[in-house]
Formats: sequence, C-alpha cells, structure tokens
Amino acid sequence: MNTSQILHVPDKPPIPPHQQPTVNVLASVIEPKLANTIIRRLNQISPLEILRHVKRIQKKHVEEGKIKLLVILCVAGDGENESNNIPEGVQQLINSYQLSPFITKVCQYAATSKEDWEEQCKLWPTSFHPPTYNIDGIGGFIEEDSHSVFDFMQLTLKMARSGDGPIVNAAVIVDPSVNQIIASACDQTCSLYSSKAECCIRNCTKQPEVYGSHPDSSVVADHVNVSSDGSRDEPKQRHIGASCLNPWQWAAQQKLQTTSSSWHPLRHASIVAIESSATRDRRLFLSLGQDGDKSNGVYSIQSSSTSTTPTKRQKTDSTNAENGDKLDAHTEGLPSVSARPYLCTGYDIYLVWEPCAMCAMALVHQRIRRIFYAFLNPHAGALGSVHRLQGEKSLNHHYAVFRVVLPKEL
Amino acid sequence: MASPTEEQSPDDTLTYMELAIQQAKLALDCLEVPVGCVILEGGKVVAAGRNRTNETRNATRHAEMEAIDVLLEKWQQKDGLSQLEVAEKFSKCSLYVTCEPCIMCAAALSIVGVQEVYYGCTNDKFGGCGSILSLHSSSSIPSHIGDGVGSEVARPKGFKCTGGLMASEAVSLFRSFYEQGNPNAPKPHRPLLAPPDNALNNLNVKEE
Ligand SMILES: [Zn+2]
Ligand SMILES: [Zn+2]
Repeated sequence: MNTSQILHVPDKPPIPPHQQPTVNVLASVIEPKLANTIIRRLNQISPLEILRHVKRIQKKHVEEGKIKLLVILCVAGDGENESNNIPEGVQQLINSYQLSPFITKVCQYAATSKEDWEEQCKLWPTSFHPPTYNIDGIGGFIEEDSHSVFDFMQLTLKMARSGDGPIVNAAVIVDPSVNQIIASACDQTCSLYSSKAECCIRNCTKQPEVYGSHPDSSVVADHVNVSSDGSRDEPKQRHIGASCLNPWQWAAQQKLQTTSSSWHPLRHASIVAIESSATRDRRLFLSLGQDGDKSNGVYSIQSSSTSTTPTKRQKTDSTNAENGDKLDAHTEGLPSVSARPYLCTGYDIYLVWEPCAMCAMALVHQRIRRIFYAFLNPHAGALGSVHRLQGEKSLNHHYAVFRVVLPKEL
Repeated sequence: MASPTEEQSPDDTLTYMELAIQQAKLALDCLEVPVGCVILEGGKVVAAGRNRTNETRNATRHAEMEAIDVLLEKWQQKDGLSQLEVAEKFSKCSLYVTCEPCIMCAAALSIVGVQEVYYGCTNDKFGGCGSILSLHSSSSIPSHIGDGVGSEVARPKGFKCTGGLMASEAVSLFRSFYEQGNPNAPKPHRPLLAPPDNALNNLNVKEE
C-alpha cells in the first residue's frame, strides 16, 4: 500500500483488454503443404492493408502433436450474406482448393500494451511492437531514476502547500541529465506571491465542496489533506485553489479589501515556470545575444550554432543533454553556443495537478520532454481527463506523460 | 445606459483585421512568426499584440497572450478594477487575430471570457477553435462539467468565432516569413529560423 508508483498516461484512452474493437474476417483451414502457395497468392489478391498487425496464418495444436493451419482469406462484412462480398480472386482460390471458409473475429487495432496483446492473441494472433518513440520511462523506470522522480514530486507537493492560503498548483522544471532545477513556481492567479495569498482564502473557499462532489476529486482532496505535513495544529481542512482545476473561477471572485494584492487569471503555475525558465535562458546566454538587435541576436545564435533543420537541432540538443555537454557548459561558467538548449528540450516538469488545456499546450510549445503529475484534474485536465493532448498527432511536439502515485504518508 | 452591442458591419471587421495584419507585419519585421491581433471594446481598439516568442525565448508569448496582458495591466494596475469588473469588461471584448488561435490561446481566451473572436487563416496543426480542439464552443465541453455541482462552479465559457477574414493576407505573411527567412542575416545562414513555436510550423495554414 505504501509504495510509490509511476504510471505512464498513454496517448489513447485505455480500453479494457477484453473490450478491444474487433472486425470480422473470412478464414479457412488449409493443408500445411499448400500453405506457401496459398499465402503467396493471398498476399497478391487480398492484402490485409488495414490489419497489418494481424498475422495472416495461425498454427493450432490439435491432439497428438498434430498441427492445424488456419489462414485469413479476406476481411468480411458484418452482413449476413458475406459470400456476396468475397473478392473474385479469393472466391477462385476457395473453389480451386475446396476450402470451407468461416467467419471469425480479429482485433481491429494494433496492441499498445502487452496486456492488450495477450488478450488479442486469444482471438487470433497479432504482432506487438512496443512504443518506439524514445522517451525514457515509457518502458519503465530504473530504480535510481524513479527515486529522483519521487523526490522531485515530493518537493513539488511541498511547494504547493507551503503558503498560508489554500493549496495551489506548483510546477518544477528539471534538467534530468544533471538533476538540476531549472525553474519552479506556484500559481499566481490570486496573488503575486502565493505565500501571501490572503485573497485566496476568502475567494477560493467554495472550491473544496465543489470538487468534493466529484468522486475523483474528493480522493484528490483526501490525498492532499492526509499528506500535508501532519503537524497537529494545522487546520485539518486545507482548501484547494489550484488554478488548473477550475480556470474560470477567477471571474467569480469578489472585490478585494486588500489593494496591494495582485492577480492574473492566466498565471497558472506551469505558465509562470515557463516564463521563469525563459528568463533564466536569456540571462545565462546573455552574452550571446548582444551582437546587435535583440531578435537578431537570437537568430544569429541559432544560425551560427548549427546548420541543421529545426527538428534535427532539437535532437542534437537532447543528445547533448544526455552526453553531459550541457553540464560542462554550466560548470565552466561560460555557456557555449552549442550548449544552449532550445527552450525546454530535454527537460521534465513536475506538477501537483494534471494541467488544464492552456498549460498543457504551453508545455507543448516550450518543448518539455516529460510531464509528471500527482493528481487527476477531472473537470479541466488536458492530459487524459477531458482532453488528451499527448495523443494529438498533428502537434509538432509530443511529450510523455506520467502520473506519480505517492503513498499516503509522506 | 450603455449603448447596445453594435453589430459590426463587414467594413468594420475588415478595418480591424487590417490592424491585426499591421501587428503581424511588426512581428515579421522583428523576425518573429508573423501573427498579430487587436482587441476591441465597444468599437474602440483597446489593446494590440504580436508574437514575441523568439525575443523572449518563451514560446507562449503569442500575440493573444500579449494583448490580454496589456488589458490586465491597464485595468488592474492603472484602473484598480476588481476581478469581477475585469471579467465584466472582457465579456464585452472582441479579438481580431490573423490566424486561428492555438489550443493554448483559445483556452486563455475562454478563461478571460472574451465575447467574440475573428480570425484570418485556419491553423491545421494547433488550432483550438475548430481545427484540433473546439474550445470556443461551450457545447464541446463534456456535459458532466458544471452539472449538479452547484452554482458556485464557474462553467467553461465559449465565445463566438468567425474565421476566414483576410486569410490570404495572413497566409502571404507566413509565406514571406518562411521564404525570405531573415533578410538581415548574412547570406550563407539565410533561411535558418528558429523552429516557429507559435502557431505554425511549415506553412500549415489555410485560407478558409
Ligand atoms: Zn492551467
Ligand atoms: Zn497561441
């Protein structure tokens, strides 16, 4: 029970393995010695274009070490009169080898997990290729790495409840190649400094009931309450005022007594952290940007650094990070042009709550490599709950998303 | 009493979009991906913005975010308005932007609660107003949100959205950005532009 876990949040909504969609195919038993001839012929006259993951042929062991071969002839319609839909070539093949075709089911889509695949093969064998995109952690974390993940997440949770006011969302951007914090921030929607978030106490009080009414979010609230640092005199009920949970809430807030406090409806933790990492970038590489006009400087840096295309440069940067080139640049104190990371390429971000659509897209723009969050955002989350940006194929950048489940006692 | 919401005549909308195009040209002059916008309140331009992602090294500094910040600064810092008053003012604003707002900006526009958005070309890769997600349409929001959780929950806000205004002008700006690259840069390094994080990678924009 008290174990931490890192769960990959996949590109597609999970389907229970036994509920994967299927399609009908026309199959037949064939003579093993005819297998090669028939398969070759079928590949010509009836290629399984839309079912590339499905194996054309399956071996069934029958009693006494005997083997039965089954082959898929073609995709079958759902209708009763499937014989009408059989392509002419296939029909000829059936006639000339005197096959007795029957309808059976195969899974419609390629398996995305080992569990799905095992379930698929119960219907008809398929092939399984684990995700090929190369982001560490999708295939699991080594112990050392998962320890850093838990440490950074705990730090993020600590930030989220550090103020006097409600628990807010917090964001920590990390360079995992050197375990260095690049930027960190809390929500600044209610007050410029969340630790002085007096206005939030008054204005966000209604949120816990609101979110508590949803089964998932009451779980969230419990988690946070239980995991808040356990000191006895701390009020049991900490209100949750995380901006991403209800981004529209700001407009409902009453006029404030305090004139000094500042607020901004869009300064969610992720947005502020991105801003602060950009400021750091400009400061660190200041000397590089001084040859002339500001924006010109940016361009000349990039054009002199490498002559690859933008996408290639991105790859180069992450390779550099892995090779520790960036570390060298930092330790020498004189950042070199080639070590300048492109935005947040290669960096991770830790968030207490699953981000809203604005924040999730901001993290796409800023080229974050991996997102770790602790709690779901059932009403406004864009990484699995309401939307699933990591699965939007048209976007020009894709991060890997993980949910970190921590034990209740921290 | 306040004047009734004036229906924009087609001429007016083109005039405002022309101003947004001017902003996009400013961005182009600064070697930024050319997207620009203006915000109107009661028929008056109250804010303008253009892309500043390269200059700031912050890929979220899109035209819309810039313009929203101009208004927040003005209404909050200078005029000392409350959240409620600011929200009230945003709800009377319309935004003219040269390209369909991306998912981030569409979400931001919904959060601040603008009334209406007019855009130029569509944004096939990142668009949040119909192309990839439809954050402008409140009906796209799953029905469980805001239902049965009491009146205290602020519901996701939609806004009216009209595309295709001066789309070819907007597209031709992108085209000059990608074709000419940086006109001031020495020739050998000519087309090496930062990956445009903003709305558009490649010329993946369409005239409506
Ligand atoms: Zn957010
Ligand atoms: Zn945008």
